[in-house]
Amino acid sequence: MDMFLNAIVTVFEPLNIAILLASTAVGIVIGAIPGLTVTMAIALAVPLTITMPLTPSLLMLLGLYGAGIYGGSISAVLINTPGTPASAATSIDGYELAKQGKALKALKMALIASFYGGLFSIVLLIVIAPQLAAFALKFGPAEICSLLVFALTIVAVLSGDTIIKGLLAAAIGMLLATVGADPMLSVPRFTFGVYDLYDGLAYIPLLIGLFAIAEMLAQAEDSFTTGAKLIDIKDIDKDANRLTRDDWRRSFGPMIRSGFLGSFVGMLPGLGAAIATFLGYAEAKRASKEPERFGRGAIEGVAASESANNAVTGSAMIPMLALAIPGDPPTAILLGALLIQGVTTGPLIFINHPDVVYTVYVALFASLVFMGIVGWLALKPIVQVLKVPKVLLYPVILAMCAAGSYAIRNSIFDVFVMVGAGLLGYVLRLFGVPAAPLLIAFILCPPLEESMRQALIKSQGSLMTFLTHPISAFFLLLALIAVIFTVRRQIKSHQALPANI
Amino acid sequence: MSKFKIVLAVTTTAAALVFTVGAQAWEPTKPIKIVVGFAPGGGADLVARNLVASSQEFFPVPLVVVNKAGASGALAADFVKNEKADGLTLLVAGGSESTAVPNFQKVTYSLDDFRGVMRLIRQRVFLISKAGSGINSIADLKAKALANPGKLSYGSSGQGSIYHAVMLVTTKALGIEMQHVPYKGGAPMMAALLGGHIDITMGAPEETSAQLDSGQAIPIALPSETRYAAYKNAPTLMELGYNVYIENQKGLFAPAGTPNEAVQYLHDNFKKGMDSATWKAMANKLSMETAYLNGDDFMAGVKAMSKAIGEAAAGLAK
Repeated sequence: MDMFLNAIVTVFEPLNIAILLASTAVGIVIGAIPGLTVTMAIALAVPLTITMPLTPSLLMLLGLYGAGIYGGSISAVLINTPGTPASAATSIDGYELAKQGKALKALKMALIASFYGGLFSIVLLIVIAPQLAAFALKFGPAEICSLLVFALTIVAVLSGDTIIKGLLAAAIGMLLATVGADPMLSVPRFTFGVYDLYDGLAYIPLLIGLFAIAEMLAQAEDSFTTGAKLIDIKDIDKDANRLTRDDWRRSFGPMIRSGFLGSFVGMLPGLGAAIATFLGYAEAKRASKEPERFGRGAIEGVAASESANNAVTGSAMIPMLALAIPGDPPTAILLGALLIQGVTTGPLIFINHPDVVYTVYVALFASLVFMGIVGWLALKPIVQVLKVPKVLLYPVILAMCAAGSYAIRNSIFDVFVMVGAGLLGYVLRLFGVPAAPLLIAFILCPPLEESMRQALIKSQGSLMTFLTHPISAFFLLLALIAVIFTVRRQIKSHQALPANI
Repeated sequence: MSKFKIVLAVTTTAAALVFTVGAQAWEPTKPIKIVVGFAPGGGADLVARNLVASSQEFFPVPLVVVNKAGASGALAADFVKNEKADGLTLLVAGGSESTAVPNFQKVTYSLDDFRGVMRLIRQRVFLISKAGSGINSIADLKAKALANPGKLSYGSSGQGSIYHAVMLVTTKALGIEMQHVPYKGGAPMMAALLGGHIDITMGAPEETSAQLDSGQAIPIALPSETRYAAYKNAPTLMELGYNVYIENQKGLFAPAGTPNEAVQYLHDNFKKGMDSATWKAMANKLSMETAYLNGDDFMAGVKAMSKAIGEAAAGLAK
C-alpha cells in the first residue's frame, strides 16, 4: 500500500503533472489529425524518454496513448475522417450526428464512452491481469482464426441496406489485402515487381483515401452542383446537443458490452483497436431493437465504438505487463521504452518491480482523468471547426492527409495510394456501396490468412483442427448463428417489402 | 580599405583555405543520411539513433536518420544502392536484408553493391523452449524430433528471416525435420511458445529476458562462437559439434563506389562516437552488445553468413 501511495505522490508532482497535461493535449491533437497515428506519436516520443526518470516517461507515453485513441474520434465526427483507424466505426454515426447539427453531443458521448472503456480495462488490468494473460495464451492459431471468421460476419451488420453491396465492398477489401508478400512464405502477390507494394497497401493511406478524400470529392461535387451546404452554426444549439435521458438509455448497454469486447480483443496479441471498435459497433447494432437507426446518427453507435477502442488501451497492457508480450503496436513500443528504463516486464515484474506496476496503474488512471478533463474543456473550441467554410477547411485537411500518408514510411508511393483509395471511395459512394465493410475486410484478412495457415501447418492440412479446439468451435458456432440471423432478417425484410408498397 | 572589404578579404581567404583542405582529405559538405530499413523504435533504428547522438559532435554536418521501413529492410537497401556513392548516404545493414532475404527472394541488390564501413553491434540469437516441455537441451530436441519426425514445430519471424535461417541451418546440421510456422515478429512467437502452440522459438536476449529470467522459457543453445554472458548455461551449437554461426549484426554499409577517403573519414569519426561515454551509456541502457569490426571484416562476416544460409535454403522456393 505504501508503494501505491508513493506512486500516487510521484505522479502528482508538479513537473509530472505538466508533462501529463502536455502529452494528453498533444495526443488528442495527433489523434485528431488524419494520418498522424498514436503509434507514430509514441514511437517519436520514446527517444525523448531515454534521459527521463521512469514516472515522467511513463506519463508521457501513456498520456499520448489513451488521448490519441480518443482524439481520433474528433475528426471522425466533425469531418468524416477517422483520425486513427481505431475511430473508423465512430465516423459512421458520429458524422451523421454532426450533419444534423449534433456534433457536440456526439463528441460528448465519444469522450464519456472513451473514458468508460479506458476505466473498465484499467480495472481489469489491476484486478486480474495474470489470470487473463494466461487465458489469452490459450488462443493459438486455430482459435484466432475462428474468432476472425466470426468477426468477418460483422460485414453483414455494416452493410447497410443491401447485403450484396456490403459483400462486394468486403470482397474488394479482401482483394486489396492480398497485395504484398504473403504472410507465411513471403511470396510476393500482385506487386508487379514494385518494392513499395511488397509490404502491401499501407493501411493509413487507404483509410484516409476511402474516408477523407472521398468525402472531399463528394463535398466538392455538392458545392459545384447545388451550392455549398454549410452546417448552419445555429444548428450547434444547446438543446439538440444535450445528452438526454433517452441517449443515456440507448448508449448504456452498448457501452458496457463494448468495454468487455474491447478488453477481450485488446489482450490477444496482434489484433488491435481497429478490430475491437468494429466488433463493438456491430455488436451494438446487432443487439439493438432498432438497428435501422444505425448509420443515420445513432448516438449508441458512437458510444459502442469509442468505448471499445479505449478499452483496448488498458487491456493491451495485460499481456505486456504479465508476460512481456505486447497486445498491439503501441504497447510494443511501450515495452521497449520500459526496457530503456531498465524495467523488464513479465511475471517477475510483480515481484521485482511492484513499484513500477503501481506507477503504471496510477499513470494509466491519471492519464485517463486528464484525457477526460482536457477533452471536455476542448469540446466547444473544437466544434468551431465546423464554422470554417469547407472551401477553406478542406485544402488544409487535404494537405495534412497527404503529409500524414507520406510520413508513415517516408514514401511518396503512399500518397498515390491515398489518392487512388480516394477515387475508389468516391466511385463506391456513387453506387451506394458502403466503405466500412471494405475497410474491415482489409483489416481482418491478413491475420485471418496467417492464423488459418499456421493452424493448417500444425494440423498437417486437416480442417478438423478448427472443430477439435473447443474455443475455436465456439467462435465458429457464433459465426454460424450470426449468418443464420442475418439471412432470416433479410428474408423477413424482403417479405415485408411488398406489403409496404 | 573599408571595414567591409577587410571582412570580405578575410572570409574569402578562409573559404579558400577550407576549400584546399577539403580537396586533400574528404570531408562531408552536406548532411549525412543514415537509412534504416525498419520502423522508428525498433532495434535497427535505436542503433542508428544512438550512433547519431554519440557521433554528431565529430561531424561538421548534421547526421540524419531516415526510416524507410518495408520488405524486411530490402526497400532501404534498394534505396541506398541507387543513391550517389558520395559518402553522404549510409545504410544500417547486417541483419535480415543482408544475410537472409536475398537467399529467399529475388531482390534488386546484392552484397556486392555495398562496401562495409564498420560493424557497430551484434545481437545473439537463442533457441528457446518452454519450461516443462521436456526439451531442455539440443540433445532432447534431437531425440524428440527423431522420435516424431516432422511433428515438432518452430516459430520464426517469417520465411527468409534470420530466425528462419537459423533453424534451417540448425535442423540440417542436426539431421532432423521440423515444421516451420512463421509469425509476425518476436512477441507473437513467444506467446505461441508459452501457449504450447509451437515447440521452439528464437529470440534475442534483450527481447526475451522477461521469459528467460522468470524460468517460463529455457535458452537451449545459441549459434555463436562464444557463450553469452547473461545466459552462460546455454551452450553454443559449435561446442556441441554443429557448425552453425548466425547472428544479427548491425553496422554501416555505403554504396559500393564510395571513395576510400570518404569511407575512412566516416569510419574514423563514427569510431570516435562509439568510443564515447554517450554511446556506452546508451548501449548499456538498451542492452546492445557493442561489437566493433572494421568495414572489410564486417562485410566478410556478412558474406560468410549469407553463404551458409544460402546453402541451407537451397531447394526451398525462391
